[in-house]
This record gives sequence, structure tokens and C-alpha cells, in this order.
Amino acid sequence: MAGRVVSRRQFLKQAGATAALLGLSEALIPQVARALEELVAGKPPIIWLQGQNCTGCSVSLLNTNYPMIAEVVLDQLSVRYHPTIMASAGYKATRVIEDCKKENKGKYVLVVEGPVPKNNGGEFCTFGVGKGMKDLMGKRVPGDKPMIEWMRELVPDAAAVLAVGNCASFGGIPAANASVTGSTAVEKIVAEIDSRKPVMNVGGCPAHPDWIIGSAMEAILYLKGIGKLDLDRYKRSKTFFGKLIHENCERRAAFDAGIFLEDWNQNNQDLKLCLFKMGCKGPVTYADCPTRRWNSQVNWCVGANAPCHGCAEPAFYEELSPLYEPLPNVDILGLSPTTDTIGWIAAGATAVGIGAHYLYKQLGQKTESSKGGEE
Amino acid sequence: MGQMISIDPVTRIEGHLRIDVEIEGGKVKDAWSSGTMFRGFEMLLKGKHPFDAQQVTERICGVCPLAHGTASSYNLDDALGVELPDNARLIRNLCLGANFIQSHILHFYHLAALDYVDVTAVLNYSGSDQALLLLKGKISKLAQANDLYPFMPRYDSGDYVSDPGLATTLVGHYVQAFEMRKKAHEMLSIFYGRVPSFVGTVPGGVTQPPTIGNVLAFRSRLSELRRWINEVYVEDIKTIAGVSAYKPFLTAGDSGGNYLAYGGFDEDSRGDKKFLPRGVIFGNDIMNVMPMDEKKLTESVAHSWYKEECEGLHPSEGKTEPDLEKKEGYSFIKSPRYNEKPMEVGPLARLLVKKPEMFVKLASDLGLLTMKPLQFGILPRHAARAIECKIIADEMDNWLNQLKPGDPIWDKKGIPSEARGRGLVEAARGALGHWIEISGKKIKNYQCIVPTTWNASPRDKNGNRGPIENSLVGVPVPDPDNPINVVRCVRSFDPCLACAIHIIHPDHNGVKAFRVV
Repeated sequence: MAGRVVSRRQFLKQAGATAALLGLSEALIPQVARALEELVAGKPPIIWLQGQNCTGCSVSLLNTNYPMIAEVVLDQLSVRYHPTIMASAGYKATRVIEDCKKENKGKYVLVVEGPVPKNNGGEFCTFGVGKGMKDLMGKRVPGDKPMIEWMRELVPDAAAVLAVGNCASFGGIPAANASVTGSTAVEKIVAEIDSRKPVMNVGGCPAHPDWIIGSAMEAILYLKGIGKLDLDRYKRSKTFFGKLIHENCERRAAFDAGIFLEDWNQNNQDLKLCLFKMGCKGPVTYADCPTRRWNSQVNWCVGANAPCHGCAEPAFYEELSPLYEPLPNVDILGLSPTTDTIGWIAAGATAVGIGAHYLYKQLGQKTESSKGGEE
Repeated sequence: MGQMISIDPVTRIEGHLRIDVEIEGGKVKDAWSSGTMFRGFEMLLKGKHPFDAQQVTERICGVCPLAHGTASSYNLDDALGVELPDNARLIRNLCLGANFIQSHILHFYHLAALDYVDVTAVLNYSGSDQALLLLKGKISKLAQANDLYPFMPRYDSGDYVSDPGLATTLVGHYVQAFEMRKKAHEMLSIFYGRVPSFVGTVPGGVTQPPTIGNVLAFRSRLSELRRWINEVYVEDIKTIAGVSAYKPFLTAGDSGGNYLAYGGFDEDSRGDKKFLPRGVIFGNDIMNVMPMDEKKLTESVAHSWYKEECEGLHPSEGKTEPDLEKKEGYSFIKSPRYNEKPMEVGPLARLLVKKPEMFVKLASDLGLLTMKPLQFGILPRHAARAIECKIIADEMDNWLNQLKPGDPIWDKKGIPSEARGRGLVEAARGALGHWIEISGKKIKNYQCIVPTTWNASPRDKNGNRGPIENSLVGVPVPDPDNPINVVRCVRSFDPCLACAIHIIHPDHNGVKAFRVV
């Protein structure tokens, strides 16, 4: 019995969970189950590299429930290289990458957490020993191998590249210092190496475990002819990043009624006050947090009486700061004296005002912030 | 001259760490620790609203965001003159405690245990436990497919725990531990919204008031975790520490005996009384705990890739100008020193300062307290982490009892036009300090010194090795192709490199001075 690891019934159960995760019709469950079964028979090799990362997305992935992380590692994927969990170190670890590249040409999925710095030959992020030698306080030792070198070696033979988290996808916080390090989003690095290589981005700081696994599953199922791969202009799956937080927020009614939290001591658990005045960026953030929630659905940011900071948006952090000030160009209380119309007016004003503000931030300030270090 | 070996990447830690060791006569003769990734947060916080600081700094690290968010909150409280309500203090303690539990469990089982347990021994399991048989089935299938990643390959060693019953039990706990650490994160998100990266603490207090409902939800998870920590984690540590082949690791890996604890988990509103006390120990003189003097903190950059003018400054005045051409440089990590001495920080430092009964008894049972000179190596470091996890989890139950639904959770204060602040806390990995300078109601300067900057630091201007470097000297390496004991020693510190090379220095612009080659 012990040899038969995953039964047909378990596949169907998993397929149900996967279909639910991706918002697929129940009619597709048998097909998803078959795809999962094929997947297990030939577990896809994964090489997970870390650039200028903080490991927050890896830790977030550990919080996955459908499937649980032990199932991911033991049953579903062949995790060849992941520096935070793998047993081997040093040359034995990097040899795994080299072997995987040789044996699985065109088959492995390259996952990248954190952006890749390009300045100074890539020396701001290195791992593994390079070809040359260097001086270490009078001793001769092997040189360092830059992350950018690894990308040049691994991108051409990868089946696809998955950028995990806001900084790998869009530059994120490390990009604020791009003028020094040359920190670059994964998509751009890949395009420079092989412009036809498929890249998918998973936003979020950190990325939600469902977004990581779901995006990967969507891509894998799509390659098997199941479901569709509907990406937005940032190459994110619309399944997870297609809806505005504000539109699905459990506190939307408070916003429409014009009841806002202004002092954390005056919070009323039953009223569920709107966090707009505390700086909520839900009106400009596309993610499914209100319905998906976090940490086994225990809570989410607004659920803890705190504003959404817009961490899933390409504009995060710099262009959404100050985080605890209301979004500009929206004067809700100044617009209407009556409670009946305030919500309607507020909603209309928000759509126009925030939209304009957001566009300005996205288009106007991006160039300014990326060379912010030179002032 | 001995044989040089380079270990890069050191895996199963957070971030990018390279270790070079010189081997002579089957032992480490000398060691160098290099942080090999630099992001540079400078400029990012300059001119920003001070409230933004904790949202940015908690993103320094995805394993210990709680520590940064908490330190940043206390830092801002100090600058704003906040009188922290008891509820807020307790909720901060509870959430930081939840992350200690998460981090310590993750560290022992998922980052360290594969150095001691032979996963392939599961194939020989002959017991009757259904869960373990299922696990055996899974591992067998991986072995048949010749796909034992990520558990193999690994460094070869003759001393892995390979008794099928014990090894399978430990691998079973490895799997259980994934769910336990996840539960600790769930518990944390009750008050802080979500994690990693959370939103529930702000300057002046917290955002989520205690209610009967959320206290109950917290306690039910805490009870389950306490039972597991007590019955599984602490017992597994005792088992590993008792393996005869590992006896040398009771003392091998001693960092030199200098320990620093800022103290953490405030027990009164001013933070004068702390559950983990503040103190300093030199040269393993553990009965002589000295008070900490913040003025004695400095940072050296003699062997770090930063310009010379960054040398010897107090952290609140620190500078960070990268210089990759520096001939003597070998790390992006600076070298913080206390009274010019390298200091180990973390659970071992904290428990040697606090000396809880359970730790003293275990140290005594292991024969550590009668050795001359006193030495605390790889295994005592792991044991301290486990026992700390237990005593914090137990104390959290008391903090829950002290919450008062309906009482204030926030002290609303305006931003002063000019102010300075500091927040010193304990992170899972050790002493963590944040410093802020506010000018014109904006952030003028923000600095952090984090635990791994202390532990993984390179040599300083006086040539003193950093604690990890020092701990490696003398560690046995019988086979230079398989330096398992080197990584065992390094991992016992639970290094977190993203934190160590954080570099938040908004007041200073490294760009002009930076040489582009």
C-alpha cells in the first residue's frame, strides 16, 4: 500500500482544489486531474534562483494550503535547486544546476526571486564560484560568479521563466538604488538574452502562495491545452490580478456611506470602517486579497484595520508613498453634505481622481525615481 | 600554508553567503565570511513620511519582517514621544513571539536538520506508524525515479543519524514542522493582517484591538504550538545533542565567548523591564553579565567593500559608500563592534544573559558547565534556540491574559519637525537596532544594525575575526571535499544575509563617490 503514493481519488481531490484555485469550471476537474497525474509521472524540474531578494516570497510559498508545501516538494515538482531548502551546498549545489541544464534542455522551469543587478559586471549579487581567481587577503581563491552570468547560462534552455514577487517582476524596492547596482527586473534581463522566451510575472510584496502556485499551474495546464492563459499588460495572470481591491472590499459599504476610520482607538468591530483616510491604496490596486485573504484565509491587511499599501502594484513602493496619507486628488467629505449622496459622489470622484493620479504616477514619475540617486 | 576551500553558496540560510576556510591537519585554521549581495536602500527613505519606515524596513527581510517592523515602531515611538498603551505593547509582544516560534521551528527542521538526519534511512523503516509508512512510500518512489531532490545530493559524512526508526521519526517531524510554522504565521495574522510583510503595527501602537474572538483564535493555535514545541521540538534537540558522534559539537563552534543582548519583549510601558533581559558578556565569563552602553557601538569597514570614511562611526551617524575595488575588502557586510570587540548575538547570547532554569539544567546535563574553559559550540546554540522557543511560547499565554478588550491600542501623536529616535529589540536571530533622524517632518536619516551583521561580519580594523569566522577555527574537516562540519557550524547561527546587507542610509548618497569600471 505504501508504494502507491497518490491514488486516483487524491488526484481528483487535488484537481478540485486546483480548479477552485484557478476559478475553473467543475466540468474541467477530470481534465485537470489527468494533467496533474501526468505531471507527477514526469515531475517538472524547477531551478529556483535568488537575486537581490529578501526570501519573503519563498517563506510565503511555505504557507501554501492547496497543495501543502510537503506535497509540492515530494509529489508534484522536482525542486532541483532552491538555496533555502536544498540539502547540498557549495560546488555540490551548483553542480545540480549544471546537470539539470544538460539533462533537461528545454524542459526546466526557471523561477527567479528578486531582481538582477547588472552594473560592475554583476558583482552586486553573486553565488557559486566563477572561472577566474581572486585575492582574499593574500590567499588565492576562486572568483565569484554573478547572478547575471547564471541567467545568461540558464535562460536559453528554460521552458519558461517565472518571476516571483514585485521586485523580480517590476524592480520593487531594490530598483530604488538601480543607479548604483543596475538592479533590473527579470523580464528585461530575459528579453536581452532571448526575446522569445515566455515570462510570467507574479506580483505582490510578498507574493501570495496561491498566486505563485496558481500562476505556475495555469501556465502548465495551458501548455497541456486546458484553460486559458489570460495575462494583463504586466504579464500577470488576470485570475489573481484582474480585480480592483476597492471593488471587492468587505468595507466598501463603509466607503460608499462615507464612514471612515480616523483613530485606531475609535474602531468599531461591527461597523468595519473604511481605511481610505488612513491611506488605503485599495482603490488603485489590482489583486484578489479581499476574497482570497492570507495565511489560510485567517485575515488580510484591511481585515486588521490597516490600509492596503498597494504592494501588488508595479508602482509599489515609491510611487505609492506616503503610505499612511489618503490618495491625493480625492476630496470626499468636501463634495457632499448628505449621507445619501456621499457614497455615490465619492465613488465617482474616486474613479476619476484616482485614475488620473494613478496614470500620472505610472507614466510621469517612473523615470524620475529610477535615477533618483543622482541628485 | 593549508588547503583553501570555498563554499558558495552556503545554502539553507537566508541570502547570499560565501565561506572560505583554510584547512590544515584536518581542522579549520582560518576562515573568511563574505556577504555577496548588495541592494542599497539608500535614498529610498530620504524625504519620506516617517510613518513609511516600518513598511519599508520590514521588507529588508522576508524571514524576519516582524523584527524590523517592531524595531521600527519602537524607533518611531521614541522619536514621536509616544506613551505606548499596554494593549499595544502586549500585541507587539505576541506577534513578535509568534514570529520567533515560526522562525525557530523553520530553522531547526528545514534549515539545519538535513545536516544531521539521513533522509535515505527512511527507506529502511520497518515500523508500523501509518503516517511514517506513507512517507516511506513517497521517499521510495522518489528514490526509484532517481529524483531525491532537494534532499540529495548532499555532503557525504559517516555520522548522519541513520537508524531507520529515529531518522524516519525525525523526517516525519520535518514534514509536521512545515504545518506548525504555518500555524504560527496564521496566529500572527490574526492581529497583523498577514505575513510575511504585515500591517498591524504603526507608530503609536497597533491597528487591531483585542476582542474575545481574536484572543480565542490566537490561544487555540498557541496551545497546539506549545504542545508541539514541548513534545517534539525540544525533545528532538535533546536527542540530537545526545548522539555520541556529535559530542565534539558541544564545544566546537564556540565564537569566542563575547555575547550581546539588547533585550526584548517589554513587560512595562517604558520598556525598562524585559522578558529577555539586556546585557553583555565577555570571554564566556557568564556569571558576570554587564550592562549595555549604547555609546560603545561602532561599525568598522576595514574589510568591507565600502570607502574608508565609513570607518568607526556610531550607527546613528553611519555612512555607506560602496567601493568594489577596495583591495582588502571581501564582504558587503560591515563589522559592528561593541567596545571594539566582535559579539555573538542570538538565542545563545540571550539565554546566557537570562539563564532560564531549563537551559541551565540542560547545559549542566550535557556537562557544559564544568568545562574549563567554558565553551558553547554548535549544539548549545541549537538547544538555546529550542528552549527559548518554549519559554516565549509559554509566556505568550500570560500576555494574552493581560489583554484588556476596550482599552486603548494607539497613542496618536503628530510628527515633530525635528527629532531623533531609536528602537532596540531582539529579533529571532539576535540584537536588532533601528535609528531615525527626523527633520522638517520628514525622514532625514535611518540606520539599522541587524543580528547577522554582528555574527557574519568580516575582520575589523584591528584584525579581529567576526563571530562566525572565529567559531570556525578548530572545527574538524576530515574530508575537504565534504566540509559538512563547516556548514553545520555556520548554520547554527541561523544567518540572514538580506538583513545583514540592508544599508538603509537615506542621508547619504553613494552615487557620486562610486567608481564605475
